[in-house]
Amino acid sequence: MTNLTAWLEGTALATWVREDPSIWAYPTILTLHTVGLGIVVGASAVVDLRLLGYGRKLRVGALAPLFPIMAWAFALNTLSGILLFIADAVHKSGQWIFYVKLLSIFAALWVTFATRRIVLDHANLSAPDVVPANGTRLALWSAVLWCVAITAGRLMAYIGVP
Amino acid sequence: MTIRRFALYALSATLAAAAIATVPLVAHHSSAPFYDATKSAEAQGPVTKLLIRNPHSFLYFESDVNGKKVEWQVELGAAASLTRTGWTTDTLKPGTIVKVVGQPSRAEGSFGMCCAKVTRPDGSPIQPGGRVTEEQQPPR
Repeated sequence: MTNLTAWLEGTALATWVREDPSIWAYPTILTLHTVGLGIVVGASAVVDLRLLGYGRKLRVGALAPLFPIMAWAFALNTLSGILLFIADAVHKSGQWIFYVKLLSIFAALWVTFATRRIVLDHANLSAPDVVPANGTRLALWSAVLWCVAITAGRLMAYIGVP
Repeated sequence: MTIRRFALYALSATLAAAAIATVPLVAHHSSAPFYDATKSAEAQGPVTKLLIRNPHSFLYFESDVNGKKVEWQVELGAAASLTRTGWTTDTLKPGTIVKVVGQPSRAEGSFGMCCAKVTRPDGSPIQPGGRVTEEQQPPR
């Protein structure tokens, strides 16, 4: 495991991300990771709040176009996240809080797919605009899991450092 | 406004902000809660390791304090900042003798420093002709 992470960290790409003085290296990648997070969780929060009963004037089905946007932003964060990970692979792979972050992201993704199903089921805007019972539960789980993921990600800079 | 035009504006604004923000920031936040700027610590000894990492790198070295061997932890800047300074795992290999003068950690019983001047024992830069602190602006 340490061999693999040490190798990753030593690659030219990882060294460039970590050490290059260019603004396009670490600073830009970290910024994109934050922007992507804002889009994924922001769009997710809109859906969650609607399912929880806020903004009832907006039909649930009208939120469907948000999901491809979330998917693109998530792809951006997967890519930027991999780059940030390899730049500091030995350290990050040894941080327990990093695994909390990953697990909560996977769980939040699963919840998001289930939420998407509900929204797409309402895509026919002439159908009754009623949120099914599990919609509320999913929305709450989504909010909690994204909060855990964000907090765990932030704590990676503070727990078990250096 | 179409979604494409909106995306274009947002992207342009981000790139413009990134281009403007090329000023290197070494001290982007205060070190005062952890290190005492009114005091100075000095120690000398062999490097044990250099962790090049963002947002802050760390240099470790050993020295004798009151007859006891201790390991100092020197908090440095971002990895890119070290690259500019010329402090790398090649120039600060384990065993390299360094002289470090910096602000001591406030934590009782700890041996930490920040905002340090790192030189060879005779006061010369680690890299011949190089810099001894991170605070200087890089050559443009």
